[in-house]
Amino acid sequence: MTAAWFLARLPEWGDTTALVSHGRRTSYAELVGTTAAWKERFAARGVGPGRVVAIDGSFSEQACSAFLAAMALGAVLVPLTRLMRAQRERFLRIAEVSLLVELEEGDAFTLSEQPYTAANALYQKLTTRGAPGLVIFSSGSTGAPKAIVHDLAAVLEKFRQVRQKKTTLTFLLFDHIGGIDTMLNTFASGGTIVTVADRTPEAVADAIQAERVHTLPTSPTFLNWFLMSGVAQTRDLSSLKVIAYGTEPMPESTLRRLHEIFPDVSLVQTYGMSELGVLRSRSKSSDSLWIKFTGEGFQTKIVDGILWVKAETAMLGYLNAPDLFDAEGWLNTQDAVEVDGEYLRILGRASDLINVGGQKVYPAEVENALLSLDNVREVAVFGKTHPLMGQIVAARFNLKTPEPLDLFKRRMNAHCRERLAKYQIPVFVELATEEQYGTRFKKLRHD
Amino acid sequence: MIARTDAYDIVLKSLTEVFAQIGTPAPDKVGEDTVLVGNDAVLDSLGVVQLIVEVEQRLEETHGVSLTLANDKAMSQRNSPFRTVGVFAEHVVATALEAAS
Repeated sequence: MTAAWFLARLPEWGDTTALVSHGRRTSYAELVGTTAAWKERFAARGVGPGRVVAIDGSFSEQACSAFLAAMALGAVLVPLTRLMRAQRERFLRIAEVSLLVELEEGDAFTLSEQPYTAANALYQKLTTRGAPGLVIFSSGSTGAPKAIVHDLAAVLEKFRQVRQKKTTLTFLLFDHIGGIDTMLNTFASGGTIVTVADRTPEAVADAIQAERVHTLPTSPTFLNWFLMSGVAQTRDLSSLKVIAYGTEPMPESTLRRLHEIFPDVSLVQTYGMSELGVLRSRSKSSDSLWIKFTGEGFQTKIVDGILWVKAETAMLGYLNAPDLFDAEGWLNTQDAVEVDGEYLRILGRASDLINVGGQKVYPAEVENALLSLDNVREVAVFGKTHPLMGQIVAARFNLKTPEPLDLFKRRMNAHCRERLAKYQIPVFVELATEEQYGTRFKKLRHD
Repeated sequence: MIARTDAYDIVLKSLTEVFAQIGTPAPDKVGEDTVLVGNDAVLDSLGVVQLIVEVEQRLEETHGVSLTLANDKAMSQRNSPFRTVGVFAEHVVATALEAAS
């Protein structure tokens, strides 16, 4: 399989806007032209099968074109972002990058040869298949980043069917499997991607209003912030038809408020992992956390409450870690799930699970109850080791207005007694002054 | 260093606070001999953990000391250092002394 069919489709979309980046619009015709220029530039430097090209940028015209050109030439692509620049040297070495394309704001670019040669067996597999590759680094909150290799032609397969042309905001970044998925999905159907320079509620709402954005893929943490900011009341967001959320469990309270404020918007949960790609699923309804996998190109099973997936779009493997698949090709997602007939609900990472004297506590469930408490803006729940109980439930809050800890704890306990089992109620409570999410707008659950 | 009277006050205050948190009225008389662990205890096991955390947080606030009261040593003693309010207060004093040395 190659990416030829995908690239052949792009000129068909002609003058339609392919992307809006920093307010600058690029049509498909322009994108195809820029891609051709990149192909020449790359070809002159010997880019092709078995060569690894890193592109450090965002969803700008030059970055997207360079991506498409390297893909067309059958090379392996490593999308990176400026946010991760401190770790870039390490990424280049692990991925055996021989050419780095660096894009600055304003889309000026530089190319630099790198001292590495692709030798990994997974790269040879791609060359044998004649397929372009994609390397994504797992954000790895703990330990070393893992380099995940995908067959990019296989990733493209699920976009063969032309779907509705949509304008989608690329909230997830250029180095994220979800971000790349959005870009390829949109280009395959002649839609438009809109990139914001600043991922604040205001900038996102402005972009939705200005570009009449149809789909907003984002994280529950950002949505919570979005609701709190009140931007939904001051901007015209009527173009918005779909909000897709994923990357972490969604608190029921956030989903409920979202549904109240956007009654006509479909709220859709997506499920993906850097190792698996984004799996197509359907939410039971807009105010439901229950999803059903459509099973297009993948199978699922539940073993001891943990979700396992076998997917055609799954990674070939890690460049720098042992294989994760079992003998039959199943991958343990380490996500705990609850099952109800054909629907299931993601409870959260099994590793986030708190064990209070043998009782299992899911942080997301506790956070969900705590978010409906007055004056709570955000909360992260995590386990703390305690010799008497093994672990105790700890909660770190961001309040809307300051409140004495004693009074807050009394209110919190009273609130929780009606909603949670005794062992689920946080014993260790602290009030934070700093925000509790990282650059990916995912909640940071740790001590 | 924490004086025995200060430690006693903190344990007692924390106990009152824990009752307020868990929403159960405190027993009529709380004092030196109030039983916290075992038969006739006024708290269940989660309540005791809550009390320990409360005392630790208060010690940090009022005395600026960060102590781990439920440490391995405390757990391995034959008689629980959290048996009664009085014994708990002694344990606070002893743990603070040990941490300072």
